[in-house]
Amino acid sequence: MRSKLASSDRGGGPYVRRFSPLERMLHAMVIVSFFGLVITGTPLLFSHAPWARVMIRLVGGFQAAAVFHRVCAVITFAYFFIHVGNLTYRIIRSTDKKGFFWGPDSMVPQPKDLRDLIDNFKWFVGRGPRPQFDRFTYMDKLDYWGEFWGVAIIGGSGLVLWMPGLFALFLPGWIFNVATIVHGIEALLASGVIFTIHFFNANLRPEKFPIDVVMFTGRSTLAYMKEEHPLEYKRLLREGRFEDVLAPPPSPLVYRWSVVLGLIGLGVGITLIGLILWALSQWRI
Amino acid sequence: MVRTKAYATAYGRFAIAVPALAVPLLMAGAAPCAAADPLSGQEPQVVTCTKCHGDQEFLSGFTDTPAGETTLYVSDSILAGTRHGQFACTVCHITYGDGYPHADGAETLQCQGCHQPEGADWAASIHAEAEAVGDAPTCIGCHGGPGPHEIYSASDRRAPTHALNVTASCSRCHADPGIIGSYFGSAEEAQARVAVDQYYRNVHGTALARAGLAISATCDDCHGSHKVLPSGDPESTVHRDNVVDTCGSCHIGIIEVYEAGSAHGSAYLAHERGDNDVLAPSCVDCHTSHEMTHADDPEWFLGISATCGNCHEHLWETYLDTYHGQVTDLGFGLTAKCSDCHTAHNMRPASDQNSSVYPMNLVDTCGRCHPDANLNFVKYYAHGDTHDRHHYPLLFWPWLLMTTLLVSVWAFFGAHSMMWVAGVAIERTLRRRGKGGHHS
Repeated sequence: MRSKLASSDRGGGPYVRRFSPLERMLHAMVIVSFFGLVITGTPLLFSHAPWARVMIRLVGGFQAAAVFHRVCAVITFAYFFIHVGNLTYRIIRSTDKKGFFWGPDSMVPQPKDLRDLIDNFKWFVGRGPRPQFDRFTYMDKLDYWGEFWGVAIIGGSGLVLWMPGLFALFLPGWIFNVATIVHGIEALLASGVIFTIHFFNANLRPEKFPIDVVMFTGRSTLAYMKEEHPLEYKRLLREGRFEDVLAPPPSPLVYRWSVVLGLIGLGVGITLIGLILWALSQWRI
Repeated sequence: MVRTKAYATAYGRFAIAVPALAVPLLMAGAAPCAAADPLSGQEPQVVTCTKCHGDQEFLSGFTDTPAGETTLYVSDSILAGTRHGQFACTVCHITYGDGYPHADGAETLQCQGCHQPEGADWAASIHAEAEAVGDAPTCIGCHGGPGPHEIYSASDRRAPTHALNVTASCSRCHADPGIIGSYFGSAEEAQARVAVDQYYRNVHGTALARAGLAISATCDDCHGSHKVLPSGDPESTVHRDNVVDTCGSCHIGIIEVYEAGSAHGSAYLAHERGDNDVLAPSCVDCHTSHEMTHADDPEWFLGISATCGNCHEHLWETYLDTYHGQVTDLGFGLTAKCSDCHTAHNMRPASDQNSSVYPMNLVDTCGRCHPDANLNFVKYYAHGDTHDRHHYPLLFWPWLLMTTLLVSVWAFFGAHSMMWVAGVAIERTLRRRGKGGHHS
């Protein structure tokens, strides 16, 4: 059997489910809206950059960009509140509240995450074994909380800038200066983390290169699970729940489009971070 | 009685106008004038002169110049309607030789014999200076249309000095690279070579040439008609100490505002009086001399804020950090430019009660674009300096906090990623050497 391009589908064998359809949809909304926000926002932040004028005109001028930016902001608020709503619903429905927050399926940072981080650094320098991860690694949690924090900060400051008349009813005007600073730098942080750190952790690191489409198809091969999430695999076997996560392989059509769109996304993101770094290198600090 | 009085008036004018040395000359030539009152319409001498000088065929026997080109030919039809058409020939041709042909000893009165102030102005002009070198416009050069006898009033549509013709008249030399090149060789003078070209594209030139607007400014409206001097000459109408008055002679409403207490106007007037050394912007510093456009021309109003930044460097930089400045920087005109908040000609310091940016006026000023601006809204820092901890602590600390977060997160996980690659490389190397047992 020919080796697959996507690391999530290598090794053959049965497939296991990793992400729910809702999570996949929310992630797709994140991708679309985030690219839209970065493409329409960075020309303003780096208005002096040689590419800024080109990019803002490609999206139809700054007024069109402003509309597009707000549309993407609405998508952002939508996925944020859909997730928070769904989370709230699941918390209420949960019979094991402690396990919900502190179990292996939780995104809450736990002592093991700190140990994994330290162990990983030891492994980097050849001073220890590679840490074994359960369902969510500390990198996954970084992405999750980065997104959570980012939407709150960028979204909040963005709303202030969107409706200055409303916020000026009870806040002094310099809040718009602060919102501009916070919005811009936090957006830079988000772009930086997503287009380099997230891309690396989720796709580009040697084990996964060039791409991992588990977030698109929602499932991976068992071989991938054993390599990336060995503790999860062992736990599921131990708990006798392994059968529950077995899933049919993704259809060739879904797999192919996941790889194509995923690679396009990686290309766009890397191009954007390249442009940002180019502009930053010319920035007056 | 009436005739005598009219003559006396005409004679009196000549006597005043003509330089002292020329007076006896005029007196000598006064005899024919006495018989032909130049203002009466009865001109027996003209009739006499045109008997020969109005006969082209007859004249062709005396000159090689083809008929129609010789200035010897002066007919009633040529003189009709000209400024001097009512004068006797002998008013200008004061002496001529005895017998015929009478070119020997012929003497023509110089124009400044009557037009003394204009002659004196011309003598002091750059054109007179140029004449000493070679060809340069003399009276006939500009006023003759085409010959020396066809002198029309500048208000006459036929006159080369008419508003709609004067730019073309100046262009005969000033748009001719061959002629101009010999005078304006240096880089500093290059402006003079492209001035005509620029003029026809600027707001004055398009008004004149495209809209046919005779009251639009032409060359002489700004540079003067006779005393044309380079802008560096303190007596020039376009010298920086005079140019505001020159522009203001038409743009009365603007000069009023500019000189009534605007920051630029006050500094300009103070410099004019010698009270300061500040070269405050005059009209041409913002509008240029030959490239001025309508204020709503996108190219111009996008550039004008950067022009302000030539002097107000820090304000320009901090402006570029705001949404206003970023959109301007991207080449869009919708957001506020310098003049939208500070006005174009009535810019005043924020401490001035009449300033558009005086704190109590800000709601109105911001409200022109932001109708919901209130007292809170106008506490926005339009020129906030993020890096100025003392003046803008409210901007500095959020900036420092966010930048620290950005740099530390990116640096930490950047190192994490790079070390990860190194870790995999180490692992694979060890495995290749058969020591894979250490790393599992």
